[in-house]
Amino acid sequence: MTTTQERADLLEQLGLNAQNKAALGQVLGTGRIGRATEEADGRMTATIRIRPDEIAWDPSILVMPHGGDIELTLINDDLNTHCALLPSNGDRKFIWLVNHSKGKATLNLDGPGYYWFSSPTGNDEGRGLTGAIVVLGDVPPEARLDRPDQPRP
Amino acid sequence: MTVEYVDAGEAVDQGRLSGKVAGGEVAPPVVRDVDYERIRNARSEPQNWLTYYGAYDGQRYSPLDQINTENVKRLAPAWVFQAGVSGFIAGASTYSFEAAPIVVDGIMFLSGWDGWVWALDAKTGIEIWRYKHAVPFDVSLCCGNVNRGVAVAQNKVFFVTANAHVLALDATTGKRVWDKTYGDVRAGESATVAPLVVKNMVIVGSSGGEFGVRGHLDAFDLETGEHQWRCYTVPKPGEPGSETWPSDGEAWARGGANCWITGTFDPETNLLYVGTGNPAPDFDGGVREGDNLYTDSIIAVDVDAGQIRWHYQCTPHDLWDYDSIGECILFESDGRKLLGHFDKNGYFFVLDRTNGSLVRITPFVDRITWGAITRDGQVTPKVYPDEEGVPVHFYPGPAGAKEWTHAAYSPRTELFYVPVQDVGATATRRRREFKESIPYWGAGVQVDIEEAVGYVSAFDAAGDEKWRWRNELPMCASVLATGGDLVFAGEPSGEFNALHARTGEQLWQFQCGSGHHSSPTTYQVDGRQYVAVPVGWGGWAEGFLPGMLGAGHGSALIVFALPETT
Repeated sequence: MTTTQERADLLEQLGLNAQNKAALGQVLGTGRIGRATEEADGRMTATIRIRPDEIAWDPSILVMPHGGDIELTLINDDLNTHCALLPSNGDRKFIWLVNHSKGKATLNLDGPGYYWFSSPTGNDEGRGLTGAIVVLGDVPPEARLDRPDQPRP
Repeated sequence: MTVEYVDAGEAVDQGRLSGKVAGGEVAPPVVRDVDYERIRNARSEPQNWLTYYGAYDGQRYSPLDQINTENVKRLAPAWVFQAGVSGFIAGASTYSFEAAPIVVDGIMFLSGWDGWVWALDAKTGIEIWRYKHAVPFDVSLCCGNVNRGVAVAQNKVFFVTANAHVLALDATTGKRVWDKTYGDVRAGESATVAPLVVKNMVIVGSSGGEFGVRGHLDAFDLETGEHQWRCYTVPKPGEPGSETWPSDGEAWARGGANCWITGTFDPETNLLYVGTGNPAPDFDGGVREGDNLYTDSIIAVDVDAGQIRWHYQCTPHDLWDYDSIGECILFESDGRKLLGHFDKNGYFFVLDRTNGSLVRITPFVDRITWGAITRDGQVTPKVYPDEEGVPVHFYPGPAGAKEWTHAAYSPRTELFYVPVQDVGATATRRRREFKESIPYWGAGVQVDIEEAVGYVSAFDAAGDEKWRWRNELPMCASVLATGGDLVFAGEPSGEFNALHARTGEQLWQFQCGSGHHSSPTTYQVDGRQYVAVPVGWGGWAEGFLPGMLGAGHGSALIVFALPETT
């Protein structure tokens, strides 16, 4: 068993964190993790990139401190064309990202929970351009059950 | 040298990339004048299907008779709406198209799985607008990524999301007007119910009975979304009914009794009639001694006060997962105001809806082994999982002799039409500690794959079975009765049937390409009657028909009509 080895080291050793090593693409959830920035007015921002020849989002897991609006800057540093289909209340947001391009997406998400986003073009989805947005927090107090605190896992 | 990035602009709504014609994304204001009075008199405008059951009485009956026993053989698809799936969705294996399409003056309002709502042209099927709520991938689904429909009133479309929000959308644009959270996803709560509009309120119930939550109904103001009342369906210590729970410990706090199916309403009694769900843990009664009110009950709730006025418990101290969430069909017989309810436990209950007194009990499925209920309502359990690790087989299985999908009642024939699932299951008690957000069944359960059959039966109010149409698979979809003396019933294997309402004779069939687990409705536009059926097999299939877990999932709304005459 190698379960005590650092996760990042093992991913590297097995080749699970890159294109065309162990698997054909980068395995879901193996990329970098980043936090959204919360501005003084409560608005959240973050930047997500696609680096050359990685065919993966960076970060591939973005963490928001709570539900609400977030403004993403999306940068394609890659030498290929990609896109982004992102979760948002109202409708999913779509943006085309040609080589070396930069755009924005404004999302509204409930917390808590996590959501997937991807690049649904013919060459991308499944290769590593599937990422997650994690929203922390709790539901409003008025939505909680009237009962004593219960044990959690 | 630095090369400037190409400006990719701002991400747009995915719906803009769906071939819409400019200006075609706004619906006419057909819902502007839909109010309590119109919904109360819904049957006087049969061209519309204004509320979940078609009318407050839950009969799922339409007086429309253009399509009838003589001409139904010529029924054919008029249009198809293909919703499809793109990207990752929560519970991809369990999504199912379960809605009852609502139609107002030629515009259809329809919900799908995973937070979808659409407005469609009811004559052509062309999408006018769409709303997509972002549903967390990790939300506790109870049980499956499903939604049973929308409600409409005062230029708004109301629906719930899997993460326990209730929303009001602008009925002309699909834009969000208000959004309220009414359940705690960290506690395992979710939402699947079709809301019900009564007076100035929209009323919703919670899901999560397999996660040890405390069930509740909530009412919100139509205009503002302001919370009006909450009605818990498991009493706290000291409240009426609390004596049916252990006096020590917190079993009540995890007791279940979720109202995950839409209630019916009688304006004269001012009571909502709502079925409640199973107790938790489903199969381990040792940790919740007592009758466990108000689980597995029909409750009558004062719609203004949000308080329970009377109750009738169909399965006291349930050990088989026999929710009583099935619809309460309101009807009159011999001058009495009655209520008919087909329960998961295999019995057809008729109650006096003014006070909850029992009028009649009749079994409606052939195989009932869990226990017996006498004509005067005495319940005797016979077979149940009470010994740790010992398998017990019983009929009906946990999906019930009738699942949540609905029966219908025709005032023309004075018959009830019920889709029946005759299938058993084996449960083995496995006690476990309660933890929030973790399924809390108290058993391992396997539903029979062999020997699973079904039928549509017609019963009169006296409980006499008048005819039976047999099927080789359980019948898992709601039926629809019409003034053309037809009963429409979909099969798990995709066939959509029209049966003669007086004889059960099969008059027409169409293979829809995927199984039925929804509530078909009917309406009329420009003098032409349509029958709409959402088709998309899925949901909690391991519970009601595991023999079809491998069947493909469709996601189409198919709308039928007679050929246009020239």
